[in-house]
Amino acid sequence: MSIAVRELRRRFGQFLPVLVAMTLLVVLLVVLGAFLDGLSMSQTGVLRAQGDRLLVLSEDADLAPARSRLPDGTINALAQVDGVDEVGRLSTVATTAARDQDITDVVLVGYDLATGILPAPPASGEAVVAANLADLVDVEVGDTLAIGPNGQELAVSAFVDDVSQGSPTVWVATADWLDIAATVNPTERPVPQAAVVAGDVDPDDLAAAMGGLAVATVDEVIAADDVVTQQSSTFQGIIGVTFVVTLLVVALFFVLLTIERIRLYAVLKAIGARTRDLVAGLAVQALVIALLAVVVGIALGIGLTLLVPPDLPLVVVPARLAVVAVATVVVAVLGALGTLRRILRIDPADAIG
Amino acid sequence: MPALTIDKARKEFPSGDDTIVAVDDVDLSVDDGEFLVLEGPSGSGKTTLLTLAGALATSTSGSIRLGDVELADLEGNDRSAVRRDRIGFVFQSVNLIPFLSARENLLAVRQLGGGRIDDDARDRADELLEDLGLGGRGGNVPDELSGGQRQRVAIGRALMNDPDLLLVDEPTSALDSELGRQVVELLRDEVDRRGVAAIMVTHDDRVTDLGDRIVRMVDGALVDA
Repeated sequence: MSIAVRELRRRFGQFLPVLVAMTLLVVLLVVLGAFLDGLSMSQTGVLRAQGDRLLVLSEDADLAPARSRLPDGTINALAQVDGVDEVGRLSTVATTAARDQDITDVVLVGYDLATGILPAPPASGEAVVAANLADLVDVEVGDTLAIGPNGQELAVSAFVDDVSQGSPTVWVATADWLDIAATVNPTERPVPQAAVVAGDVDPDDLAAAMGGLAVATVDEVIAADDVVTQQSSTFQGIIGVTFVVTLLVVALFFVLLTIERIRLYAVLKAIGARTRDLVAGLAVQALVIALLAVVVGIALGIGLTLLVPPDLPLVVVPARLAVVAVATVVVAVLGALGTLRRILRIDPADAIG
Repeated sequence: MPALTIDKARKEFPSGDDTIVAVDDVDLSVDDGEFLVLEGPSGSGKTTLLTLAGALATSTSGSIRLGDVELADLEGNDRSAVRRDRIGFVFQSVNLIPFLSARENLLAVRQLGGGRIDDDARDRADELLEDLGLGGRGGNVPDELSGGQRQRVAIGRALMNDPDLLLVDEPTSALDSELGRQVVELLRDEVDRRGVAAIMVTHDDRVTDLGDRIVRMVDGALVDA
């Protein structure tokens, strides 16, 4: 066992302040990441529910489905393109859902194709409902919701998770969507907004075959959403600053530790230690501290997200936790390596006299 | 060939516009198994000479050879390796690693420079602790040892890698006269038994008689003792 690890075990209290500081920073990173992912996912459920299919929108919509209006005949034309297996319509409109005295904002979604998440479109007069709507209006399968300004009644046929778009979603067949959308905005004829295309077809080839239309993947459409990108960049900035603070905390701690140990390091150099042995020892200590902080911090962070009220959009994504863990460890080791210059300057001759 | 040969070694330090000569063209050699006592008043250059002989500093001019190795030719890791493998240091303030046991302090010398602790190293540490009268104290950390015991652990650490040269800086300064003499007698015995060359810097007249030869240093130069 190395000298550095022995010191860590036998003088653990010495390292407790930096462990506590790093653990709290990891908790902050986990919670911030959960907010980032939660906000992003709560805005993009309708799109993500389409899986790896392509989306076709009107060219002037700038990849914003809400601004898109498909020309008549688009669906039939898409179905003729080589490689296209299935084509369906996808449209949304913001409205309200009421049950008894409870009224809440919802997004009404019209669709044609089942996906990995969504069942096949329900029969006319029925709706598939986002699970989080049940918490807001106390509705169960078989109950009736009144949708839109005219209170169009729809029976709940199923619930699905993780399909929010800012508000809970209510999913109906496109024909029902067209009827209800006409009541939401009586001055405008409702038109399907996007086409969902399944099959083995290249987006560029599809776009070339369909002049005047934009073709994009789900990820590309999400990336073009101003709200999502602004939220994402804001949180990424905060997370980045937190990592910088982590780096500074670790670097400052190990610099102070090095200053405290100048005499000891001079002795170790005098009896044959190389600078890299001393720096490697600090890096090992930083690595162990960081790993402990990551384990404890992630556990506490997840625990904290479970205590947050359910209406806050917090989602813990394993990939995000992995990034936090790896980045924290890397940042900690880099912080410890910040002592290199100071250790280089320690004169072994100071061990004598 | 002497274990250590110092030939016209000079060490100067800048001091404003002036230059301080800490070691002034010193000639000195120490043979294997010889225990040399280096005495002199404070500021006479004893410690500086010790740092030059120990490859802890480089001389401004002159030559310092450890066996056939010219120390001035060594840099970086090579100097570290010479200090680790061929020189043993006993420091004035002992300077043991405080969180390691006595045995681990000896074994730590083997770990420096990327070495491994094998059975040979463990046997060597146990043997040294036994020889130094610390057979039952190997598991104690420095805070659990008396001043004399700590100094003996430091001697064991210096001998751990079987050095060619032992450099000892004021080993009795923190000990009472009886304990101080015991420690130097122990050093004397180890030098005799292992045939290692040793230089001991001291102010303590009560132990100088234990050396084979006494050299006095005044104002950076050696004078007759």
